[in-house]
Amino acid sequence: MRQVHALGVDLRDGLHGRSVPAAAKRLRRLLGAEGVVLADLDGPVAGHGRHLEPEEVDSLLSQVFEYGSNVRTRLRDGTTVCAVPLNVAEEISGALLACGDPVEADVEAAAALVADSLDHAALRRARARIAAADLRTLRAQISPHFVHNALAVIAALVRTDPDRARHLLSDFADYLRYGFSEKGDYATVADELEAVQTYLELQRARFHDRLDITVRMAPEVLPVAIPFLVVQPIVENAIRHGLERKEGRGHISVSGFGEGPLCVIEIEDDGVGMHPDLARSLLAGTGPESRSIGLANVDQRLRAVYGPEYGLVIETALGEGTKVTVRVPRFTRGVVAQ
Amino acid sequence: MISVLAIGLVLATSLVIGIYGVRAARSTSDFLVASRRVSPNWNALAIAGEYLSAASVLGLSGLLLKNGLGTMWYAVGFCAGYVAVVALVAGPMRRSGAFTVPDFAEYRLGAPRLRKLCGCIVLVIMLLYLVPQFKGAGVVLALVSGTPYWVGVVLAGMVVSGSIAAGGMRSATYVQAFHYMVKLLFIAIPAVYLVAHAGADLRAQALHPEWGTHFAQTTPVEFTVDTTFGLDDPVTVTAPDGGRVDLAAGDHTVSEGTRYVFPAGAAVPHPEGLPDLGGERWSTPLLNSGGYPLFETWSTILAITLGCMGLPHVIMRFHTSPSARIARRVAVGVIALLGLFYLFPVVYGLLGRVLTPQLVLLQGTDTVAVVLPAQAVPGAAGTILTALVAAGAFGAFLSTSSGLLLALAGGLSHDLFQGSVPRLRLAVAVGACVAVLLALPAEKVDINVLVVWAFTVAASTFCPLLVLGIWWRGLTLPGAAAGLTVGAVTATGAVGWSLLLPTPQGWTTVLLAQPAAWTIPLAFATMAAVSWLTRPPDWAEHAVLRLHSP
Repeated sequence: MRQVHALGVDLRDGLHGRSVPAAAKRLRRLLGAEGVVLADLDGPVAGHGRHLEPEEVDSLLSQVFEYGSNVRTRLRDGTTVCAVPLNVAEEISGALLACGDPVEADVEAAAALVADSLDHAALRRARARIAAADLRTLRAQISPHFVHNALAVIAALVRTDPDRARHLLSDFADYLRYGFSEKGDYATVADELEAVQTYLELQRARFHDRLDITVRMAPEVLPVAIPFLVVQPIVENAIRHGLERKEGRGHISVSGFGEGPLCVIEIEDDGVGMHPDLARSLLAGTGPESRSIGLANVDQRLRAVYGPEYGLVIETALGEGTKVTVRVPRFTRGVVAQ
Repeated sequence: MISVLAIGLVLATSLVIGIYGVRAARSTSDFLVASRRVSPNWNALAIAGEYLSAASVLGLSGLLLKNGLGTMWYAVGFCAGYVAVVALVAGPMRRSGAFTVPDFAEYRLGAPRLRKLCGCIVLVIMLLYLVPQFKGAGVVLALVSGTPYWVGVVLAGMVVSGSIAAGGMRSATYVQAFHYMVKLLFIAIPAVYLVAHAGADLRAQALHPEWGTHFAQTTPVEFTVDTTFGLDDPVTVTAPDGGRVDLAAGDHTVSEGTRYVFPAGAAVPHPEGLPDLGGERWSTPLLNSGGYPLFETWSTILAITLGCMGLPHVIMRFHTSPSARIARRVAVGVIALLGLFYLFPVVYGLLGRVLTPQLVLLQGTDTVAVVLPAQAVPGAAGTILTALVAAGAFGAFLSTSSGLLLALAGGLSHDLFQGSVPRLRLAVAVGACVAVLLALPAEKVDINVLVVWAFTVAASTFCPLLVLGIWWRGLTLPGAAAGLTVGAVTATGAVGWSLLLPTPQGWTTVLLAQPAAWTIPLAFATMAAVSWLTRPPDWAEHAVLRLHSP
């Protein structure tokens, strides 16, 4: 059993992984054969035990690939060779050769085992690709709603306060450039803050300065690399769902500090808050359609990058405001701001 | 009493700065001001503040009084360490984005298990460094409040872990910068005042003391441990019951708890094994405790200079700099600030030779900076000066040990166990408890002996890892692991042996007490040799390239 499991581990990167020779050795021992060769469609990739002449291997392989079935022949010196195709997802993707009078059924079973492992390897690769693609689509969707509001505010100010309108337009341009940038998956906390700043400037204009802002950042955490657009969606959420519905002045504070090896960023508003169950369902991605993108997206990306224990923490209650905490390690292998 | 108040004031101020120190921006236009990165000057102040520990504020003048001028090599090493840091690691470390040495190990060699090994070494270094800090705090608190030593140590442990739990390190940069200024001012002002107040005679005497030196006034001496000392001339001392005891010339052994009052003008007895305060050996600018001064001096300089770059809490501060160039500039600033500071411990050491020679007899030289002002300047002025020095020493303890405790807790919760936040807080508490427990039996061990031990371990483990990791693409995982293990075991073991177990005489003593001169090359050699035998991964070239490309 252990041998079979170890074979699966050896083949976890497919036929071109580092442990394929070890897999060949293991197969030879399992089959009790004199020699074993693993081949893909281009030819042998690894072997163990008795050396077979390349011409003989080639001719065997071409027969297997042509007919798609087992081939059994005798070599010039009289030993029997058995070649079995590896069928991965109903397609031939290689072959297993065993020489030295092995039982054909055994070789077939071994080939099925190898094919399963290869199938798993392919699935694993596909899963990683899907995760990466998800990340790319999840990343930073600038809401059309916000674009519309921002342009409407600027349009309203163009006659009455042209200077401010000009400032806002350039803020808006900065914001779009940051949001659309294709530079990479990570940015520094300082870059994120700048994006938040331009965003808040636009929102303040729309709120007719009904919005108070406090920023408190320990300088130590400014160069820390974090996933692109993590802070901004949380701020956007605080404004759209916390402060927009509140009467009178609203206050939002963004603070960041280091806590040992961790970097902590807290976004707190004194808006309408929400029911804790709603917050839970938002993070689980099962909340109402209209508000499901922002927080769940950030939460998923943080978990994907740093691991399950580093998701968002939301503290909220109806009428009590909302506090969202991002807590990430200051250094994680592979996380580098561009 | 004033001293306790002064200490409380320093503590309260640093808590306020720590929690509220980060400037809050009220409008978005302040936003950019708030998000501007720390200026190199602040950063340099903060690094110097964190670095100047009880070893510098208390230990250096104490060791100077006890062992002689050679002690100043410690100060040279503490500064020169930053030259090594600037030249070899500051820039590349910043480019790697790594926050701690275990982070760097993972970046460069890509193995979680090596990270665990590094985490263990961080733990060892940090504990070795923390124990003398707590010892210093305990001694100062005991001295100014009159409580027993253990109360001071426990109190110090509670204060520092409490201040971290309250968020006192949230804006670490400003707290540490504040602490540098506290230390510099509170050491410099009394020092300058003492020098001015001492008068020309005393100054001349401090520089050229008479042979053996004499008690300046009637001095009570309470021996807290069994002590053997020698007398050149017979002297009549007063016992606590008022009886007079005649001590003949020659060697005497007194038991713990004995109290003698030495009359003014009597020659100071010289304890066994230590240089005479006015003697030739005291003024020789080499470290000499075991008869091999040149080796001992070199070994100590090596340990301190190279150990600096391996200290986890030093390395992580360079992460704050926005670029590698500025990281180097910061390190240069640190050297200037440290150089300025180290002018002052010398004053206490030299004046202490004339004014408080009994401390050598009592094996309590670590307190010289706190005891001296009251001895030199009687009355209210002396009390205030004592309060200043005590508060400065406490500031030194507070800043260094908070930094160390956080680094230790980070290593414990982040590198050794996949940690969450409650675990970090728990780790701070656990680290403080262990350090306090270890500090309790360390009352009579000199602060600097323990600090140099920590530096030796750092120099024999992380220094080779960083230097080879940054400058040699051939470093491999087995090589790094082997070198770290060999360095950690030899350096920790050798000093531990010399402190705790009886050592054989001759060369071995000095080899065990100051092992840096052989453990560092051994660690480098092991790392290089094992790396040669194994093959570096394909991406090693790329990883090293990124450390050096601007």
